[in-house]
Formats: sequence, structure tokens, C-alpha cells
Amino acid sequence: MKLNRRGFIKVCGMMAGYAVLGANLTREAVAATMDFVGLRQKSVYDADAHIYKVRKSQDNPMVKKLYDHKEGFLHDGPCGHMSHHLLHTHYVDRSARVKVLKEKGYKFNL
Amino acid sequence: MKQIEGVMAQTNAPKGVDPDNLFFVQVDPTKCEACGTCEEHCATGAIQAINEEGIHQVVDPAACMNCGQCLVNCPYDAIYEGVSYVDEIFEKLKDPNTIVVSMPAPAVRYGLGECFGKATGTYVGGQMHAALRQLGFNYIWDNEFAADVTIMEEGTELIQRVKEQGQKDARPLPQFTSCCPGWIKFAETFYPDLLPNLSSCKSPIGMLGPLAKTYGAEETHTPAQKIYTVSIMPCIAKKYEGMRPEMADSGFRDIDATIDTRELAYMIKTAGIDFNSLPSQGPDPILGDSTGAATIFGNSGGVMEAALRLAYEVLSGEKLNNPDIKVVRTHEGINTADVKVPHFGTVKVAVASGLKNAAKLCDEVRAGKSPYHFIEIMTCPGGCVNGGGQPVDPDIRASLFRSTVAQINKRFRARRVGA
Ligand code: SF4
Ligand code: SF4
Repeated sequence: MKLNRRGFIKVCGMMAGYAVLGANLTREAVAATMDFVGLRQKSVYDADAHIYKVRKSQDNPMVKKLYDHKEGFLHDGPCGHMSHHLLHTHYVDRSARVKVLKEKGYKFNL
Repeated sequence: MKQIEGVMAQTNAPKGVDPDNLFFVQVDPTKCEACGTCEEHCATGAIQAINEEGIHQVVDPAACMNCGQCLVNCPYDAIYEGVSYVDEIFEKLKDPNTIVVSMPAPAVRYGLGECFGKATGTYVGGQMHAALRQLGFNYIWDNEFAADVTIMEEGTELIQRVKEQGQKDARPLPQFTSCCPGWIKFAETFYPDLLPNLSSCKSPIGMLGPLAKTYGAEETHTPAQKIYTVSIMPCIAKKYEGMRPEMADSGFRDIDATIDTRELAYMIKTAGIDFNSLPSQGPDPILGDSTGAATIFGNSGGVMEAALRLAYEVLSGEKLNNPDIKVVRTHEGINTADVKVPHFGTVKVAVASGLKNAAKLCDEVRAGKSPYHFIEIMTCPGGCVNGGGQPVDPDIRASLFRSTVAQINKRFRARRVGA
């Protein structure tokens, strides 16, 4: 990114206060964000191992009730007829609009 | 505009509009300091400088995946949310003729506590259910249940695809996961040729909406037209997903409103609920109970691990005694693994966190060089737990701010020396 006029004016003001800070801070900021994700991820795996009594989807009693061959709402099983109607979908090619933008001169990364 | 947990939001509740024309995130030009941090975090390049001054904007919704990674990484708090349903939900909760249903995602319960002073990542599932009850939701249903259903559907689809290889009309491998709406829009926009590789399964919330208005309505003897479903997500892109016109398979809009973790915290605070003194409560049955496999959907590698817990048992015919499949757990980047399944062989999997990494795996598939059976993609680093709708930690923002200033200083000095 190129630093421009407006950026410069703001930066000059801030520099006085922040000139003392080192340049390794980018790495520090990335590390801090990843630590943060790490803490949340750890908590998720702890809950999986210690809080949830059932660990596999196929063992969930409510899932068994849903797919019960006789009485279940989805009695024809996963990927059955009712599942296809309610739980599956189709996708749309959305490339056209970005193509038009690129032709107009916009630059994107892909 | 409303200030919601440190982020500004436009509290409109768009109805019947094309979500492709909405800006789910946008930059407030009066707050933008032209630092360019957002641009570094955006995989598509949708957010860029629009003038000489370097002021940034999301230039067109077509190029934006609504992931909100620019928003959570802006050190100046300059990016706002363009769509918020909180006001409408408060009205529905007051209306005696509306049955309001809660549908919180797994990752919400690992972020919500942070808005109430708890340590990063604290699990508050039980308090979250209690808070939803106090807010007046009629049914405390849980998207974790739908995550379990997703595993049944998506795991079965994967097994079908593996078995049908070599037959004519076989669906292609690898199969990509389809639960992350940022990734889905990304594939539709930049890799439309790979759409046959995407699992046809809706995301968990895409499944819970129609289940609530059909199965749930039936089981609770509630007229489906009275049900108002609220999706509660760690994510901004889920707002786009909920508005997709095709999400109407129940005969009604499957998902009526979508909010994120920050907005749920805002609603709890606005209602005057003392979150920290709430007892732990469970969800309502039928569409509420869940498993460990469902809760790990919040992490990168979680959907993969949950699916493998099913696929292993189905393909081998044996019980999986230790459900921990740690090799697929992913903190950042791309992770690949060979999972040995008795009586079957090796299942080759890849997990990618971040769309720049997703693009690498997509290019491999496009070139016909992908060795994998199953690929999980999450748009946000580390998965939904770090979604664009999760609480923004003030310390992280401060450290982003410091690092941005340091970067600018460095460039400034370099320029002065050269000048
Ligand atoms: S990160 Fe924020 S302040 Fe920096 S350019 Fe982007 S919007 Fe502007
Ligand atoms: S929301 Fe995501 S895709 Fe859209 S501009 Fe921000 S970082 Fe880029």
C-alpha cells in the first residue's frame, strides 16, 4: 500500500506518541490474534471431551428419533427423499458480476 | 446506527430484497485512517482504496464474501455492519401471536461470555440457553442439533460419492464441506466450475430453519406460519445466507432473522439480564440436544473430525473407541491427513482455514491434481470461533492499533531516508 497525504498527516500526529514502539509489533499482533483463537479452540475441545456426554452425531438420541425407520420424520434416512427436499440445496454461478466489474477496470485478487 | 459491542450497525431488517445488492459490511469514510489493514485481511480484494487519500470502501457487494474479517481487524473501528435485525426481534419477542425460536450456533457459546467479562473462550452454553429463555424465546432450539443432522447427511453423501466412483454420472471427488457461507459464496463467485464438488447439504442453520417450521411445528402443535426463527451466529455472512431466496423449503421463509454473537450480547444487556448470575440450563428437546461432534463445528477441522467419527464407523463396521481424531485439528493454514479406516483403506482429507488457503486447494482440484476425498473449508482463521460476528477483544484491537502505527512509522521513516 502506498502512503498518501491524508495518511501522512494523521501519522505525523501519532508518531510523537508511538515512535518509541518497535517494528516487531506486526508479528506480535498476529500472534496475539492467533493466541486468542487458540484459547477459544481449546475451550471447544475441552467441552467436547468433558461436557458433552455423547460424542458422536449418530449416537444423539434426538437424531435417532428423527431418522427412526418407522416413526421418524426423516424415516427414509439421511439423503432420503424428505432430506433432499428440506436439507439439501443447489448452488448458483455468481461469477458474472465480478467479470463485469473487472471489465470496467476494477482489480480483485482472483 | 447503533453501537453494538464496539461495532456500529445499521438496524434495519431488510425484507424481500436481493441480498446480492446489500453491503453487509462497509467503511465509514469519516473514521477510516487509510491504514490499509483491512485490505491485507481480505482474500478477494473487495475492500480497497477509492481515492488519492487512501480512504477504503467495499467497492461492490459482488466481490465481498461478507466474512467481516476486515471489520474485526480494523484498528480504527471504522467498519460497520449494514444489516441488523435486533430491533425487529425485540418486537417479535413482545408479540403474543408470534412463536419465536432461538437457533444459536456452536461457536456463539465460546465467545458470548467475553462480552460479560469472562476469560477468552469460556464455555457459557448453559447460561446462553437460560438467557434466551429470559429474553422470551418460546423454544430454545439449538443449531448444534442441526450440526449433528448435517453430519448424518454430509457423511452419508461422502460415503455415497466414494462408493459411486467409476460409475457413470458419479458425483466428483473431493467433496467440499458446505457449512461456511463465506466459502460458499466464494466458490460460487470464483470457482463456479467446482460447484459439483460442493456437498449438496445445506449448512446446519440452513437445515434447522426448515426443520423448525415442519418437524418442530408438528411436534409442538404450533402453526408454522406463527413461527419466527432467529439464527444466532458468530458470523456476518450467515445474514446473507439466511436471506438467500431458495431458503424457503418449509413453505415459508426458513430463517426469519439472523444476528451475531455481539448482537445477542447487546440484546441480553438491553433487556437488563444479569448474565453472570444465570443458572446453567439445557435447550428444549426435539431440536435442542447435541453432541461433542456438533460443538466442534466451531473450530477449523471440527466438521471434518465430526464427519470422520461417522464415516469411520459406517465404512469399517466397527466402533470408534476413541472419538478424538486430533490429526485434522487446524489452528491456521492448510492441514492434510491420511486417516486409516479398517476394512476400507485410507481416507485422504484436507482442512483449510482462510480463503487464500482455500484458493490453493481449489486450484489443485481445478488442475485435476487433488488427491483428497474430503476437504473442509472455513473462511475465518481457526474457524467460526474467530468469526466476523464474534466479540472484538479490546486488547487485540489495541495490539492491532499498535502494530498498524508501527508499520506506518516504518514506511514513513523509509520514505524520509529515501527522499
Ligand atoms: S483497516 Fe479501517 S482504518 Fe484501515 S483502511 Fe481499512 S477501514 Fe480504513
Ligand atoms: S467482509 Fe470479507 S470479503 Fe468482504 S471486504 Fe471484508 S474481508 Fe473482504
